Amino acid sequence: MTEIEVNRAESQRLPAHLPSTAVDATRRPIPRRESRLGVLAERYALVVLLIAVVVFFSLYPPTSGTFLTLANFRVVLGTQGVLAIVALGALIPLIANQWDLSVGAVAGLSAVSVASLFSQNVPLWGVLLAAMIAGLTVGFVNALLVTKVGTSAVITTLGIAGVIAGAVTQITGGKSQVANIPAEFRAFGSGSVFGLPYVFWVMLVVAAGVHYLLSHTPYGRYLYAFGSNPEAARLVGLKTSLLLGSTFVIASVLAASGGLLLVARSGGADPRVGESLTMAALAAAFLSAASIKPGRYNVGGMLVAMLLLAFLNSGLNLAGAPPFVSQYVNGAALIVGVALAVIIGRRRRQRGKL
Amino acid sequence: MSNGNALLQATGISKSYGATQALNEMALTLCPGEIHVLVGGNGSGKSTFIKILAGVEQGDSGEITVSGNTVDARHANPDTSWKMGLRFVHQRSSIFPDLAIAENLAIGSVFRTGLGGRIQWKEQYQRAHALLEKFHIDADPRDLASTLSPAKQTLLAIARALQDEDGSGPSVLVLDEPTASLPRTEAVELVTALRGYAARGQAILYVSHRLDEILTVADRVSVLRDGDYSGTYARDDLTHDSLVELIAGRSWDSLVAAASDREPREVGRTVLVVNGLSGAAVRDATFSVGAGEILGIAGLLGSGRSTLLRLLFGAVQRETGTVELEGEPIELASPVEAMRSRIAFVPEDRLREAAFADLTVQDNLSIANVRRYWRHAWIDRSLERETSASLLKEFKVKASSPNAVLGGLSGGNQQKVMLARWMQRNPRLLLLDEPTQGVDVGARSDIHGLLRDMAARGTACVVVSSDPEELELLCDRILVMRNGRLAGDNDGAQIA
Repeated sequence: MTEIEVNRAESQRLPAHLPSTAVDATRRPIPRRESRLGVLAERYALVVLLIAVVVFFSLYPPTSGTFLTLANFRVVLGTQGVLAIVALGALIPLIANQWDLSVGAVAGLSAVSVASLFSQNVPLWGVLLAAMIAGLTVGFVNALLVTKVGTSAVITTLGIAGVIAGAVTQITGGKSQVANIPAEFRAFGSGSVFGLPYVFWVMLVVAAGVHYLLSHTPYGRYLYAFGSNPEAARLVGLKTSLLLGSTFVIASVLAASGGLLLVARSGGADPRVGESLTMAALAAAFLSAASIKPGRYNVGGMLVAMLLLAFLNSGLNLAGAPPFVSQYVNGAALIVGVALAVIIGRRRRQRGKL
Repeated sequence: MSNGNALLQATGISKSYGATQALNEMALTLCPGEIHVLVGGNGSGKSTFIKILAGVEQGDSGEITVSGNTVDARHANPDTSWKMGLRFVHQRSSIFPDLAIAENLAIGSVFRTGLGGRIQWKEQYQRAHALLEKFHIDADPRDLASTLSPAKQTLLAIARALQDEDGSGPSVLVLDEPTASLPRTEAVELVTALRGYAARGQAILYVSHRLDEILTVADRVSVLRDGDYSGTYARDDLTHDSLVELIAGRSWDSLVAAASDREPREVGRTVLVVNGLSGAAVRDATFSVGAGEILGIAGLLGSGRSTLLRLLFGAVQRETGTVELEGEPIELASPVEAMRSRIAFVPEDRLREAAFADLTVQDNLSIANVRRYWRHAWIDRSLERETSASLLKEFKVKASSPNAVLGGLSGGNQQKVMLARWMQRNPRLLLLDEPTQGVDVGARSDIHGLLRDMAARGTACVVVSSDPEELELLCDRILVMRNGRLAGDNDGAQIA
């Protein structure tokens, strides 16, 4: 498969992955007062930007030889696969208007647990079980603290992230865990099918699952309602504590799954890996409200935002920009994401009043 | 009292927000040593008037004169208001419970500091001590404000507001519902202290809706109704009933009588029987409602009318009493359980308690009924869309589509969406708190029509409203709530 073909396949696949949002038949027959063009621009601005970024780095002489290659896409999409699963975790509490700052730490905890259990010759099923238990445990602790004790989610999850960092250092002694990772496990992490990494396909399946949960089940409806107005949610008979608590459990389980894949991909676990994940995941989760379904945190928007950031960083990297530039990009993306979520939300409310 | 010695004189103050006239030609005079109470129902313009006095809102016309200095209400601002000697104390929110009493006082004035900006605590405490004595607050300035009783906390706020008046001429103290959150004994303590301050010459403008208290504390009472100033009355000329009539525009007695005089509608079997229900502010409520009956609950703000509905919806914890729905006792531990018994509740404060303003109209309609669309592990969107569209039609909601954002609709249309949300569940008992508040006239009559249709289909309705006209138009029977207790045509039990 040539590089061009891969790129075309990629650009077709993304929209195809989001049929129920992009091609929402329910909206067609009813006349809308909003300008059709304005709505389209708002929905797909980031998609256009993503394409522009890809085109730019494909043509820009310093990167044209390296950016648009299968190898580069494999690296980018594989890395993003892990990050996206963690970001999907952050997305769910965010819909309930809660920030989970522990997702990166949970991914890190899961990664080092997995790696150190492998090094102690624990069989694969035991390792997978341990990763899930780690995720469930942290999720339940967050959920209980937020719903029963009533602590704020930001502070709770920040504190938990700190505790986890301590646990990770204790488990690893501060050293990377690379010994004795089974070959087939690593092969899964580095292998590809249809030209793209397994990890990326796994991520798409998880994303489809989360999209289903949010858009096609009562649970998703309840979550958006709770995020919009918790008191009203209580007074339409929603079990608000259960709802809120569940978001943290799902977030931690997804983050732990991300950690698992991280070990498969990199063949080991770095004790500091969690730190960088939280911000990138939150940035993508926030930016999700800027496209596809503007004004709502949504899975399609999150994937677009994530790929945009990933290709931007990759291009800058290949163009020889120093590593700190990507930190600027990720930090700024978080702020832009939050700002866009606020601005689009406000505009939507105002436009409704026309 | 003549206007000659008036300390505060406000004349011709009007204010409108868009098409709504919030305040029309308000006039008020306040003399030294007088306690002047301002009363009115929800949306009567009390708050608007107080805000203009405080300078946080500007009037469209009118003048405010304090101690001979006149300011145009169009140019009111907080600074001028303060300089003229107007001092404001709002409910209980204005003190810092975790700071010492002396610190609370100093924050309203200045901290005395010495070398290097260090607070001179000794001097601070002496000053605080003198202030506490002057305002008859028996407390140590070193104690935390939270150790004071609620009434004393309010007195502390008053002392803080008035502490800097020395020599700069007399001040006017404006108290905005100071007793709204106080228990009865505390309110009495506060009111007694206020009488003491007034006796020393302090002019007090007092906003309240507690009628008994008004009748003990006031020298004169000014009444606002729907933004119109409807007169000032000497306390001795008022009784509890005449005050109600002034505030509501008519007496409860005539309202109850009008409802019972009317040709009775067909009322079916008894649906709801409430016996001795108590919880929060509500005491010993006993009544019943029949199928297809619309029962009205009249009462002023703070009478416990909203709490009664919340008790019936499980949103406020019941203490004693029983509730039976179609002969079966129900627990009502939570809204979830109430909904299971097919009880529906449309709260008063739409924005805070009912609307999902940034979600679509369709989301808002479906939320109480999502399971109905849950088919084969998938929400059936086309069914949801059809149902929503037909609900919008049935309830005459003007919206561009079911996908319009709810927050963009007018208040009346939003309220119709809230009604449709619950009515599609075909409730046995429908509880409505101020169903047409902040709704235009057209939508209001639509909503009344919808409620009558609902009742005609056999739903038992309980409607709380502070609008007597609405109750008379809508209800088959009216009960009156006062201080948490039901009175009035209390023959509900006999319907069965």
